[in-house]
Amino acid sequence: MATVPKQIDVGTDYKEKYGFFVPEDYIFKAKRGLNPEIVKEISFMKKEPEWMLNMRLKSLEIFRKKPMPTWGADLSVIDFENIFYYLKASDKQSTSWEDLPPDIKKTYDRLGVPEAERKFLAGVSAQYESEVVYHSLHEELSKKGVIFTDTDSALRDHPELFKEYFGTIIPPGDNKFAALNTAVWSGGSFIYVPKGVRVDIPLQAYFRINAENMGQFERTLIICDEGSFVHYIEGCTAPIYTTDSLHSAVVEIIVKTDARCRYTTIQNWSTNVFNLVTKRALAYQDATMEWVDGNLGSQITMKYPSVYLMEPGAKGDVLSVAFAGKGQHQDAGGKMIHVAPNTTSTITSKSISKGGGRTSYRGHIKMYPGANNSKSFVKCDALLLDDESRSDTYPYNDVDAENVTLGHEATVSKVSDEQLFYLMSRGITRSEAETMIVNGFIEPFTKELPLEYAVELNRLIQLEMEGSVG
Amino acid sequence: MPLTLESLDVLQGEPDWLGERRRGALATYERLPNPSKTDEEWRRTDISGLNTAQFSELEHKNGSRLDVSSLPRGVILEPLRVAAEKHAQLVEPLLFSLIKSDRDRFTALHAAFFTGGTFLYVPDGVEIKEPIVAQHASHAGGTAFLPHTLIVAGRGARFHYLDEYIGQDDEPAAYRSGSAEIFVGEGAEVGYVAVQKWGRNAWHFGDQRARLGKDSKLRLFSVTLGGRFSKTRVEGSLVGQGADAELKSIYLASGKQFFDFHTLQDHQVGNTRSDLLFKGALQDTARTVYAGLIRIEKGAARSDAYQANRNLVLSDHAKATSIPMLEIDNNDVRCTHGATVGPVDPQQMFYLRSRGIPEQTAKRMLVQGFFGDVLDRIPFDHARSLIEAELEKRLG
Repeated sequence: MATVPKQIDVGTDYKEKYGFFVPEDYIFKAKRGLNPEIVKEISFMKKEPEWMLNMRLKSLEIFRKKPMPTWGADLSVIDFENIFYYLKASDKQSTSWEDLPPDIKKTYDRLGVPEAERKFLAGVSAQYESEVVYHSLHEELSKKGVIFTDTDSALRDHPELFKEYFGTIIPPGDNKFAALNTAVWSGGSFIYVPKGVRVDIPLQAYFRINAENMGQFERTLIICDEGSFVHYIEGCTAPIYTTDSLHSAVVEIIVKTDARCRYTTIQNWSTNVFNLVTKRALAYQDATMEWVDGNLGSQITMKYPSVYLMEPGAKGDVLSVAFAGKGQHQDAGGKMIHVAPNTTSTITSKSISKGGGRTSYRGHIKMYPGANNSKSFVKCDALLLDDESRSDTYPYNDVDAENVTLGHEATVSKVSDEQLFYLMSRGITRSEAETMIVNGFIEPFTKELPLEYAVELNRLIQLEMEGSVG
Repeated sequence: MPLTLESLDVLQGEPDWLGERRRGALATYERLPNPSKTDEEWRRTDISGLNTAQFSELEHKNGSRLDVSSLPRGVILEPLRVAAEKHAQLVEPLLFSLIKSDRDRFTALHAAFFTGGTFLYVPDGVEIKEPIVAQHASHAGGTAFLPHTLIVAGRGARFHYLDEYIGQDDEPAAYRSGSAEIFVGEGAEVGYVAVQKWGRNAWHFGDQRARLGKDSKLRLFSVTLGGRFSKTRVEGSLVGQGADAELKSIYLASGKQFFDFHTLQDHQVGNTRSDLLFKGALQDTARTVYAGLIRIEKGAARSDAYQANRNLVLSDHAKATSIPMLEIDNNDVRCTHGATVGPVDPQQMFYLRSRGIPEQTAKRMLVQGFFGDVLDRIPFDHARSLIEAELEKRLG
C-alpha cells in the first residue's frame, strides 16, 4: 500500500475558488482533548438526559479499547488529544435567514443557500460548526406530521422516538469511529416521516467546519415509517486550514415496509480533513434504500454506506463517485448485507484520480444463510488522469445463501485518446475536452442529483480539472 | 512425530548449499506461527483441522516419474535433487527465488522438505516438440509429499510441460505441496499445465509462480480437482516489455472439498499483457474462495490486464466467494475484471429438460458448456485430452 503523503498543498487559490474562510467567533469552545470530563461537559451544556450521558461515557470507553483500523488509509497521523470536541457557534437557534450572524450568512451566500431556498427548498438546516443554527421547516411538512429538526432538539422534543432508535442501527461498539461519534456527537439532522407520507421536495442541510483543529461529529437519524418517501441531501464544504481536522459522522436510517429513502451526499471538505464516516440503513419488507454518495474533498475519506436488507423484497442501492486530487485518498465504496431472501442490491462506483491522488473502491457483499434467491451486482469504473495517480478495487464477496446471483465488474482506464482527439479536432482545448469527458464519465451520478447540485458538482469538477493537463 | 531436523537426514547426497537452505527454511517454519484469521489472505480459509506434525514420513525422496522420449541437445531434465548437485550453477541462484521460503509457514515447510520434483533447463533457441510430462504419484496416505518443479526457459526456447499430481481418494489424510517456479527468458514461449488430483483426504498447498522476460509468452493452465483442502497461488510477474501471461484455471469442487485460490498479475514494466480466467463449478457442500489481484506498477504504462472469476454453483449448499482486486498505479493502462457467482440458468435447464434430457445429464452438459471456452485455452493436446477425460469421469 502506498503511504498517503502527509504534506498537502491544495493551492493558495482555495479561497478564491470556494471563498470559504470566515474568522472564528464562538460562544462556547470546549477544551482540546478527549476524556470523561469533556464528555460530561458536552452533555451538561446540552442539558441532556442521564441515559444519553451514560451512553456517551460508555462509548468513550469502547473508543479507548478499540484499536485503530489497520486496513485502508493511513490514519496514524490523527492526534485525538489535539481536537476540539465541541463548539457552539451562537447561543440561540435562528429561525429565519435574516437572524443569522452576518459572517455565517456571507459563507452561505457563497454556497447559494438562500438562492436554493427561494426556489423550492422546504427546510434548510445549515450546520455552522457543531450545532444547527439556522433552521426552517416548510409549513406543509409540519402539517403532514414530518419531523425535520437538528438531532439535539430531537433528543429534547421527541425523547421517546429518539430513544427507541438512537444507536440501534450503528451501536457504539460497531467500530472505533462510531464509538467516538457516540461519545461526543453534536448536531446533525433528525427526520421522521409518518406512515404513507411522501415528502416531494428534498430536505437539505449544509455542513461546515470552520475552526482550526475542530472535530465535527454530527449524528443523523432518519426514520421512514411504512410506505413513506423522503430524499435527504447533505452537502459539505469547508475552508482550508493548516493542521489536520477530523470529521467523523454517524448516519442511521430505518426504512420500514414499502418505504423508500434516498440519501444524497456531496462531500467537499477541505483537503486537510480526515473524513471517517459510518452510514448504515436497515431496509424492511419491499423497502428501498438509496445512497447517492459523492466524495470530492478531504485528505482521507473512509466511507462505505451500507444497507442491511432485513426482510424479503428489500432493495439497496449505492451510487458512489470519488474524486482524488493531489494528496488525497478516497477510500469509498458500499456494503450490502443480505439477511433475508429475495433481496436485491446494486453498487455503482465511479472514481477519478488525478495529480497523484488515490481512489480505492472497497465493498462488501454479504449474503447470510437464508438470504436465498437474492441478487447483487457491483460495477466499478475508474478513470486515471495521469501516470502519478492510483486506483484500487477491493471488492469482498461472501455468499452463504442458496441460489443467489452475484456479479462484479470493474474497469480502470485513462481518458481515451479517440474521445480527446474527436473533441480537440472540433476546436475544443485539451483541458476543456478532458473536463467534458470527466463530466460525462460521472453523469450516471450527476443525473441523480437535484439540478442545483448537479450544476454545483459540474462546477467543482471544472475547478478541480483546471490545469490538470501538463 | 513431526518433521524435524532429523527428518532431513534421509535426504542424503545433496550439496552443502542445499542442506543449508533446507535447515534455514526449517528454522523459518519453526519460527513462523500458523496464519491467523485476522490475516486477510487466510480470513476465509480454515486450517484448524490441519496438524502438520501428523505427517512425518517423506515420500519420493529421489524424484518423480518423467515421461519424455528424446530431448534436443543441451536440454537438462533431471530430478531436482540430482540437478542441485550436477548443475548447481544453474539451480542454486534460482531455486526458491520466486517462491520465497519465508512467505508463510507452508512455503517454509515446502522449501525445507521438498522431495520429488524436476529441474528442466531449455537452452536458448531450443524447441521441444513433445510435451514433457512429470507425474507425481503418491503411494500412501499419512505421508508428506512436496514435489518442486523448477523450469528455466532460455531465450526463444519453446516447449510444453505438464505436472500431474496423482493420489487415491481412499488414502488417509496426507500433506501435499506441489509447486512450480517458472523462468521464461526473452522471447521464449512456454506452455505449463498443472493438474492436481490428489486423493480427497489430502491437504494441498501449492504455488505456481512465473517470471516473464522481454517479449516472452507463458500459457499457464491450472486444474484443481483433488484434496479435502487445496490452497493454490498462481502468480505471474511481468518484468520485461512485451511479456504476455495467460493464466487460466478450472476447478471442480464436490463433497466437502474446500478450494482456495490466490492470484497475482504483477505488471512491473510497461507494454505487458496478462489475461486471467478462473472458472469453477461447485457441487454438494463444497466451498471455494478466489482472491486475485492485478497490480500495475508506477512505470508500467500501456499494460493490458484482464481478470475474471466465474463460479457455477450447482447445489444450494455449495458456496463460492470471489474477491477480484485491482491496484493500478499508472493511467495509461487497460484493466478489466469481473466476478460472478450464480446457479445454473433455469432457462437453459428448462430448454434441455423440455427435450427429454434427464436433469443430471442436462446439468453435466451445462457444466461442460460452462468450461468449454476455457478448455480451449489449454496449451497442448496431450493436456487437453487428459483434463477432458478427467472432467468427464468426475461429472459422470
